[in-house]
Amino acid sequence: MKKISKKVKIIALLLAIIIIVGAIVTLTIGLNFNLRYQETKKIQLYLEKDFEISDIKKITDEVLPNQDVIIQKVEVYEDSVSIISTDITEEQKINLIDKINEKYEIELSADNTEITTIPHTRGRDIIRPYVVPFIIATVIILVYMAIRYRKLGMIKTIVKTAFLLVIAQAVLLSVIAIIRIPIGRVTIPLVLVVYVLSLLGVTNYFEKGLKEKKKEEE
Amino acid sequence: MKKIKIGTITLAIIAITMIAFFGVYTQVQNRMENQVKDYDYAMDLKGSRNVRLTVNTESKTTIKDADGNIVEDSDDLTDEQIAENGYTKEETPNNSEEIKNAENYRASQKIIEKRLQKLGLEDYIIKVDEETGDILIELPENDKTDSVISNITTTGKFEIIDTQTGEVLMDNSDIKLAKVLYGSDSSTTSSGTSVYLDIEFNKEGKKKLEEISNQYVKIEETTEDTSTEEDTTTTEKTITMKIDNEEIMSTSFDEPIKTGKLQLSIGSSTTDNDTLQGYIEQASSMATVLDTGNIPITYDLNENQYILSEVTENQVEIAIYVVLGMVVVALIVLIIRYKSLGTLGAIAYIGFISLLTIVIRYTNVVLSIEGLLGMVVTFSLNYILINKLLARNDNRLEAYKECFVKIIPVIILAITFCFTSWRPINSFGMVMFWGIVLMVAYNGLVTNSLLKIKEGKEK
Repeated sequence: MKKISKKVKIIALLLAIIIIVGAIVTLTIGLNFNLRYQETKKIQLYLEKDFEISDIKKITDEVLPNQDVIIQKVEVYEDSVSIISTDITEEQKINLIDKINEKYEIELSADNTEITTIPHTRGRDIIRPYVVPFIIATVIILVYMAIRYRKLGMIKTIVKTAFLLVIAQAVLLSVIAIIRIPIGRVTIPLVLVVYVLSLLGVTNYFEKGLKEKKKEEE
Repeated sequence: MKKIKIGTITLAIIAITMIAFFGVYTQVQNRMENQVKDYDYAMDLKGSRNVRLTVNTESKTTIKDADGNIVEDSDDLTDEQIAENGYTKEETPNNSEEIKNAENYRASQKIIEKRLQKLGLEDYIIKVDEETGDILIELPENDKTDSVISNITTTGKFEIIDTQTGEVLMDNSDIKLAKVLYGSDSSTTSSGTSVYLDIEFNKEGKKKLEEISNQYVKIEETTEDTSTEEDTTTTEKTITMKIDNEEIMSTSFDEPIKTGKLQLSIGSSTTDNDTLQGYIEQASSMATVLDTGNIPITYDLNENQYILSEVTENQVEIAIYVVLGMVVVALIVLIIRYKSLGTLGAIAYIGFISLLTIVIRYTNVVLSIEGLLGMVVTFSLNYILINKLLARNDNRLEAYKECFVKIIPVIILAITFCFTSWRPINSFGMVMFWGIVLMVAYNGLVTNSLLKIKEGKEK
């Protein structure tokens, strides 16, 4: 039986700790969802002229301090702005409109501006479209791995590959949970990149094993 | 000779790079226009149509007679006339208080999502407010967006009723499947194409349809009068098909339908492709609505506007500079490590990046954030490959093979994702697929040739 080196043991222990802590954080505090997936408040203002998002950002920084804000241009003429934040009170709305009126020399009325609620997106709704493609791809990859590295043991190859792919994703999600990286637009791309990297790592590992096996046979 | 060959390849790479990053401009009327196709961006980078559906709060007024039956054609009746006739006026809310609950809001969301999937939407975001029932949908902006929106706002209530009595004979619960069929029009001498809406009923519905088609037929009664002449009178019992209370057709049956299928002709056209396409779209919309069921809540379209992506040009610029910075550092490392061969490797690498950005534009790849990261992964894989080719100049073919064997699982992943309709995943798969195809071809032809020429191994 192969002896596990001290270095591998330390790495395994470290990864186990990360995954356990990540799981605890996820189950207790939950994940930190980006503003895009949280329940938010939105106001929309018709400025009647071109504007720079950076200028609106300066105003929102003053009126909505320490609050995440999404500012987007609306419609093809890009003369309306949509401001989304975790919360916008009536008072903040009036302040925002006053400052925007002052900046763009317009006369928007706070009474005619409605604060609307944008509901949150459930985590399962975010990941649902990705599940089937990931499962199909993984199954095909596992079949390929089992055939390509059959000399190293089919079952062993499948189990090891699946285990390493799952561990890589678990570590990534744990790190996201622990250091409170917001779940947003970049999370899935990040998952994809880690998946590709772990695939490359696993293949490299088995290729080395196959080479050694061939040498042994010779 | 060696220098000329390397110079020619380098110049070709510079030309490709110029085309990829700056474009090819020609004068069109009074302005200069880039002839190189632009990138096609997905919803997350371009923007989306934002739709808000709110729960309808209106009521429907019905006039009933003294026996409690609904009075037809009562729209023009004044209050006095209603009182005179002994009728009563009732206000029925479109959404009763009992149905306004989180369960029905979620059910509505699921039906809308099913419709979006059936309509072939590759990317969307759908959210529901369980307190107010508001549904927010983000859709990609294209030619079909308006038609998609009209589909999702349709309730989808299907009914077959007795035209005379108004009795409901069949409804949504009897439908198993609805689809569009095309066929050559045999009823006319011209060779036109007909579009049909094919409604397949479930077991219960099949029985009902058979019964209805037996009952609702044309009956011809022949009577003999005194002058021995025969009089033929035709009585007809008809059904009316309604979708969302709108009459689609009224008909009777010529023969009993035992197949459990009903085919409705939507239209036919001999030559006009646009007309035919219109019929197909109309039939597809009806099929989608019928196939996905009845939305339990009546919704109003409250907001429908195009909102640009929150990813600003500034953020894109920063990302590009970061990637460029990393590429520059990586190429400097290559040049320092492998000297003149490294320089050629770096030139080849720049050519690869440029060519990939052109290929992506001409292969219908829709770029999402996932696709952009796919590009970064492809650049990284190509860097590793060039590095290996430079390191193993004794047996470059072996290094080439080794590299590709190691990325076979990534190729499988890319190809699988190419067949996925979900845009973000598809974008990643497509970029990776074209990236790897280009890696095989480009490095085999260009990088390898450059290195061979430099080493004087060319034949």
